[in-house]
Amino acid sequence: MQLETNGVCKYFGGLKAVDGVDFSLSSGQLKSIIGPNGAGKTTFFNLLSGFYLPTKGTIRFEGKDISRKSMDQVSQLGITKTFQITQIFPRLTVFENVRIAAQSRKTAFNFWRRAGHFHDVNEKALEILDLVTLLDSRERIASNLSHGEKRYLEIGMALAAEPKVLLLDEPTAGMSPAETVEATHLIRDIADRLDLTIVLVEHDMSVVMEISDDILVLHEGKVLAEGNPKTISDNEEVQRVYLGGGK
Amino acid sequence: MEKKVDYSLRVEMTKMEKLTDIKREKGKVGFVDKSVWITLLILLVLPFLISKPLATEILIYGLFALAFNQLLGHTGVLSFGHAAYFGVGAYAGGMALRYFHVSVWTSLVVAMVVTALVAACIGVLAIKKKGVYFAMISLAFAQMFYFMALSPFRKWTGGEDGLKFIPILKLEFPFHVDLTSALPLYYFTYFVVGLAIIALWRILDSPFGRVLKAIRENEVRTQASGFNVTRAKFLSLVISGSFSGLAGALFTVYLGYGSLMTLFWMTSGSILMMTLLGGMHTFIGPVVGVGVFMYLQNTISVYTDRWQLFVGALFVALVLFFPDGLVGTIKMKYRERKSRA
Repeated sequence: MQLETNGVCKYFGGLKAVDGVDFSLSSGQLKSIIGPNGAGKTTFFNLLSGFYLPTKGTIRFEGKDISRKSMDQVSQLGITKTFQITQIFPRLTVFENVRIAAQSRKTAFNFWRRAGHFHDVNEKALEILDLVTLLDSRERIASNLSHGEKRYLEIGMALAAEPKVLLLDEPTAGMSPAETVEATHLIRDIADRLDLTIVLVEHDMSVVMEISDDILVLHEGKVLAEGNPKTISDNEEVQRVYLGGGK
Repeated sequence: MEKKVDYSLRVEMTKMEKLTDIKREKGKVGFVDKSVWITLLILLVLPFLISKPLATEILIYGLFALAFNQLLGHTGVLSFGHAAYFGVGAYAGGMALRYFHVSVWTSLVVAMVVTALVAACIGVLAIKKKGVYFAMISLAFAQMFYFMALSPFRKWTGGEDGLKFIPILKLEFPFHVDLTSALPLYYFTYFVVGLAIIALWRILDSPFGRVLKAIRENEVRTQASGFNVTRAKFLSLVISGSFSGLAGALFTVYLGYGSLMTLFWMTSGSILMMTLLGGMHTFIGPVVGVGVFMYLQNTISVYTDRWQLFVGALFVALVLFFPDGLVGTIKMKYRERKSRA
């Protein structure tokens, strides 16, 4: 298993946002996490990425315990996330956004050389921009991009950190149906081309059913069901709490 | 300005060739930015345009404002007590000259090292605090240094009279320069400040400098990208403090004594005001802000004792019409016009 959690919990005061989740992920998988509002999806994600520290339980990545590591340390180990609310560098150019993310692996504390001199970093940034279809927008200021383009940019920035596991928190949130289809295909394409492990939190069921290898359903902080898209859509309990079928 | 290549006209170009082309274009970088050269050129002839002491003060405060703005404009951290570093630098340099009879060059180095240490101590205690909390803690430290210099340590600092009896200032290395006459003093200051400006620009254009900008833009994203945000902010504070200390030591050399005013909270306030006036989101803006502010202060105070009233009114007007500072707003207008054309 590349990434696994063991009885991981996160409490906010009396609220058990995530309550004893066992989860495992093998390399190269595209796994989705679904569940109704407040099921603990984003909180669980924030535990995986080191944004929150778990109250209880352990998280292991490639055999190492990463439960107590901070977000930048987790990112350096190879797990990078995108956020539900787009997080980019708004006043910098699209190129600079990705270039900065791309330099995180080696040149973060170099004071004496010009940033533009690191050709390998420049090249990586441009290749990633090409991959997320933003190459022609590279000189634009990031805040001027459309909503969909900003989401792509953030995925690009996450990819620039050379992750082994990419965590995407509702990548299609706020997109039109047409954009959603496009984004879905892009994500599947990236996963296949770069041989990445991807975990996706998603609201849109059609997206999830179409691209996932495996699905985890959360409900009130606990695992409700796990399996491939077919078994999940056939699962009666999942239908009851999430898909709105019957009482 | 960057040259735009119209790729749509070269249909036969394959995608790979296009990428290679952009890569080559991105790889071209000069020694420092054009705006830095222009500023250095203007500063070179400044003592022939305005009075020499005023020009020297503009140089020194210009460096202080740039160092301050590395933290405010480029890292997104407001320190409301930067007088601490300016003042500690002024006293450290002055005391090294007065009590240890070191050379002027050594006093500058001593000031930089001491202020770097002070900044490191404050940084360890406070850099994790966000926004207004950090601003208030830095103000508290600055006030602490002010009152320490004022009374408990008056035996060494001279209290409110300032640090007096500094030996007559001159340079022996690399050749003899008499720092008591105005023009040599100006060009000595120009040399030091010029090097510091280039150093600060290069730091901001390094990979580390880009991380600082990333932190200013979005701290969470920067951390998610794998950068240690706390460490970067800490180092930025130390560098900013150290260069502010250098400015302080130059101020002591310029005055010929250590002034208690350097530690006063109004020094922190005016450096913030001058930086905003020039434009905190540009590199050279703070120097322009310092130049305009000090020139006006100097000119208006000839006619009236109430110069602060006029400078204040002007400041309000500038904030209304130049919300991004003088340089920032002009730059934006220029860019808008260019993109429309």
